[in-house]
Amino acid sequence: MSDGSTAPPRRARLELLVRREDEGDGFDVRQIGSGVAFIQSRPARVPAGSFELAEVASKVDGQRSFILKNTATDRFLLLSDHEKFLWEQMNGQTSLQDIATAYMLRYGEFDFEIIPHLIRKLQRAQLLTMTPTSRLRQALARNRRKPVAKMAESALFALERVNISSRNVQPFFRGIYRWGGFLIFTRAAAVACVLLAIVGFAAGVRLWPDAERVVSGFGKSPLMAVISVKLLFLLTVGAHQLVHGLALIHYGRRVREFGFTFLHGFVPTFYVDVTDIFMGSRRARVVTAVSGALVHLVLGSAWLLIALRAPMGSFLQAFAAASGMIQWQAFVVALYPFCFIEMDGYHVLVDVLGIPTLKHDAMAYTGSLLRGRASRRFTRQEALFVGYVLVSTASVIAFIAFNVWLIVHAF
Amino acid sequence: MGSSADTQVFLRSVRLFRNVEGPELGILADSLRERSLKRGQVLLREGDTGDEMFLVRSGSLVISKAVTGRVEQVLARVGPGDFFGEMALFDRSPRSATISADDDAVLLVLDRATLAKLTEVSPRAAAAFFESLVLIFIERLRASGDLVAEVTRWGLEATGLDVETR
Repeated sequence: MSDGSTAPPRRARLELLVRREDEGDGFDVRQIGSGVAFIQSRPARVPAGSFELAEVASKVDGQRSFILKNTATDRFLLLSDHEKFLWEQMNGQTSLQDIATAYMLRYGEFDFEIIPHLIRKLQRAQLLTMTPTSRLRQALARNRRKPVAKMAESALFALERVNISSRNVQPFFRGIYRWGGFLIFTRAAAVACVLLAIVGFAAGVRLWPDAERVVSGFGKSPLMAVISVKLLFLLTVGAHQLVHGLALIHYGRRVREFGFTFLHGFVPTFYVDVTDIFMGSRRARVVTAVSGALVHLVLGSAWLLIALRAPMGSFLQAFAAASGMIQWQAFVVALYPFCFIEMDGYHVLVDVLGIPTLKHDAMAYTGSLLRGRASRRFTRQEALFVGYVLVSTASVIAFIAFNVWLIVHAF
Repeated sequence: MGSSADTQVFLRSVRLFRNVEGPELGILADSLRERSLKRGQVLLREGDTGDEMFLVRSGSLVISKAVTGRVEQVLARVGPGDFFGEMALFDRSPRSATISADDDAVLLVLDRATLAKLTEVSPRAAAAFFESLVLIFIERLRASGDLVAEVTRWGLEATGLDVETR
């Protein structure tokens, strides 16, 4: 019996056949839903000179709104404060999925209609273009006739297809949590973590004066040793993501996906979808972000303790010391927010500051400042932007210099 | 390879030959060539020349049209009892789509000379064949219209474009 309601129309799907390269007649058939294409699209606003934005403050309720004008067509749009925020994200590089996440972080709520509604409005005013691929992929596609570009594009395409993941991971994470994972989130674990960090750091300090003798344990094949250290490190990235997932379970949220892929087509990485934590408290978000990085602190300290106990100049000592060093670096990089990389520490920082697009805004403002297009009298936020770029630049230079120094002295 | 009798039994189950009588089916069965394809193999490409149509005896094939680079739009899938490639049989134009085996497949090949022979030997059987062909053409034309509408809807949904209030 019908209840009189009408089911929403099914989303359209395209069936595409994609030929495999260099595999003779091989091909894959993929079904692409229009919804997937929509959330992965990267809307780009028209170039800077093609629009003007002016603020209008209501004298009645004090609410801010904005007038957006297309200077080419003389069409005007009225944007709310929230819509202006979304408009600023539409830089052609950020996907709608990421824009929705940024919105959620900024306002702590999400109206599922706001983005499609704004896009329709902007398209009508001809203020938007849609860019489906990254700039790198566009550049490679443009230069496809050059063998190097073609090879790079093919390699990225092949690696991007490597994605081993599951969306049905909630029972798996729940199981691990129930069978001991919950212990990670106890006060005792926090104390043990701090103690281990102190002991591990002390071990590193004691090993430091003998660094040359320690790395001599790699013998005549240091490169192979470093590669094996890196491969082992990759596995610990999986553990890092696993702990993020356990944190979600701890706060009663849902782990939507867990898997392995090649980020941007060339960075092998494990990943976990923690977006459900946005519905939790700020404390839950901070704990989720920090807990994953602590895996590297614990493992790094453990490796340094092993290195301290191992025979001086042995392979075990060199391997343990290198692994400990790399884990500590990973811990610092993951939690240090000023390095232009949007990792755990950066997410904590933007959450605390309430500026989810800090990096993007800071880069844009500093760029305009360097080109002489911005006033040199800073507001507090603009000073924050400049400070972020300065500290991040100095940090990256220091990080690279430290690693170069380390490699030069080690080998 | 199947015998002529097996082929005749198969042709009887094909909608295209539903109204063709037994003796004429026998003539056809003797004239059809069999062709095998491995999974992934391309039978013919968009733009190729040819004057043959194909009946699918077993397996499945994908009919696709080039879109960009290595990407093609899937127009249809065909399986046992289906046929394709008939347009080139009549208009001698280049092939309008690419046919790839989605699975190991066995095809029967009907060329222009065989069709001419059937028309000459039995105009009544040829008329029955053409009538079935036209009915299937109509179905496919309707399906093409549906596909165009689906692709258009996909484009509108994927871009969020609102054309109603533009």
